[in-house]
Amino acid sequence: MTSRALCMDKLNILLVEDNPDDQLLAIRAFEQVDKKNKVVVVEDGEQALDYLYGQEATGAQTDRASRLGIILLDIKLPKLNGLEVLKAVRQHPETQWMPVIMFTSSDEPAEMLEAYRLGANSYIKKPLDYKQFVNQMDVLAKYWLKLNKVPGECLNS
Amino acid sequence: MIRRWRYWSIKVKLVALCLSVSLLGILLVNATLIAHQDKTLREQLANELQVTASILAEQALAALLFQDQQHLGELLNSLRHNPAIELACIFGEDDQTILARWEPLTGHCDAVDPVSSGGFVKGYFQLSHPIVSEGEQVGVLFLRSHLGDLQAGMARFVGVSLIAILGSGLLLLVITLRLQRMISGPVLDLSDTANRIAEKGDFSLRAPITNEDELGRMARAFNLMIEKIDLQNQQILQSHELLERTVAERTHELTVANRELEAFSYSVSHDLRQPLRAIDGFSQAIQDDYRDQLDATATHYLDRVRAATQRMGRLIDGMLTLSRVTRSTLNLRPVDLTQLVNEVAAQIQEQYEGMSLPGGINVQPDMRCMGDVELLRIAFFNLIANAWKYTSRNSERKIEVTAQAHNDGIEVRVADNGAGFDMKYVDKLFVAFNRLHAVSEFEGTGIGLATVYRVVARHQGEIRADAQPGQGATFIIRLPCSRQGD
Repeated sequence: MTSRALCMDKLNILLVEDNPDDQLLAIRAFEQVDKKNKVVVVEDGEQALDYLYGQEATGAQTDRASRLGIILLDIKLPKLNGLEVLKAVRQHPETQWMPVIMFTSSDEPAEMLEAYRLGANSYIKKPLDYKQFVNQMDVLAKYWLKLNKVPGECLNS
Repeated sequence: MIRRWRYWSIKVKLVALCLSVSLLGILLVNATLIAHQDKTLREQLANELQVTASILAEQALAALLFQDQQHLGELLNSLRHNPAIELACIFGEDDQTILARWEPLTGHCDAVDPVSSGGFVKGYFQLSHPIVSEGEQVGVLFLRSHLGDLQAGMARFVGVSLIAILGSGLLLLVITLRLQRMISGPVLDLSDTANRIAEKGDFSLRAPITNEDELGRMARAFNLMIEKIDLQNQQILQSHELLERTVAERTHELTVANRELEAFSYSVSHDLRQPLRAIDGFSQAIQDDYRDQLDATATHYLDRVRAATQRMGRLIDGMLTLSRVTRSTLNLRPVDLTQLVNEVAAQIQEQYEGMSLPGGINVQPDMRCMGDVELLRIAFFNLIANAWKYTSRNSERKIEVTAQAHNDGIEVRVADNGAGFDMKYVDKLFVAFNRLHAVSEFEGTGIGLATVYRVVARHQGEIRADAQPGQGATFIIRLPCSRQGD
């Protein structure tokens, strides 16, 4: 596992979301709370795993995972669903301790329970109200990115 | 004793019947024989004595005519060869003068009246024989014989009879015991078969048929009856199986339908909400980013769009809750209703801060019942949120939650002093999407009370309402606190 730590502002956020509206709204909400973090968007479970553990065209192993602060994971996704991605993330040594926040429209108790059982750090129901949406992003970024910050040298990359 | 024969087995009854009838017959025959024998012996004795008397009378005639008493005595003395004769006398023609006597034992001729005494008397047989010469009676011969020989003969006869009775009785017993099986055998077989069928319920058993008599016919009829019962049983079993299969099929269909419904409501929750979020989000984005280019009307319209979006969101949430309340597993536990209602009340007060008024919510302490705590929370949330909402136009708010025991359950009353409603619309109260107030009057989805109704129904409870326009509304819920739900 890469032990280099990045400052919280430099950590990326991986948003796994298939709906373009929700993608745009999430990015906008992030911008509105004035976060400098880059939001990386992938559209399905397969792409998410590809992004985390895949080989680049050059064949070199990426260190993308180490640059991530949190993963925002929708549950209803094409191909691999959110719970399957979560399972894979928890099994991989590099992302074993990565904060994963489920980010979904459903508040089915069974689904919520399953997500926590598989190791989700939090479960957020996407609000209808955009203002609430922005507040949620604020809390999320502050709390989880700060929590994930490891003391040490800030790398400029 | 008279009734005891009812407890005898058929075997004993048959033996008793045969033996008693046969023995009665034998006894009657023997009694007849004995009587006949007695009579014969007596006649024989009488005949013998008569013959002896005739001979003696003839022999005595000459001696009598010559008044030769010595010869008469010798004549009587010859009777010593006949030990049965114990007294013999010869009287003269006056019937009183004793001319000769033979008294070897205790009898005396002096005590004898030859005219009137004759026949069987006091253990003797005696007779008087006139001694006649040329048509004229010249004397009377009196003879008395004891009955010793006759009695001995009778005793022998009775003894032989008794032995014969005993012997034939034993023989009868043996024969009866053997022959009674002819009747009792099939009866016992039939009864045994009936018992085994009754005990084991094995309708494949049949009674053996050995005879073609009435018993055989009875066994045949019994077998036929069992066969019919067996057939009917099988038919019942078959229709039962068919029924079970049908029920299983229906259950399966229902399960599938239920699963489809679940998938549907999941989609509703997930997919219907998403476009709403986009509408609200981008309306907000327009309001934020193009603030300078929008006039007041445009901003107002966008506000209306966002308000409608929120309302639709609440509708979806209400439908989801209703569907969840319907299909979730019922988890019955003891519930502290007071605590639950207090929690719900606090949540509502916090949520609707804007609608605060003087007064508030009173909750009776120590209300307890069995129930599903999550479902009951949803129900009381809806009831108290309603009460809160419909009292929001009052000058003072008074909401009371009280309870009292009812049968083996509890009756909870949620009463408010709010807007109330007209009781003629009470039928629409608990039906989803039916509302008794306009949205402009009181905001609402029309799902809340339908959800409450569902929760109460799942607890096997009852709900009713009492209200008057402007006088407040009371909802009365009866929950059985001991029984199982659903």
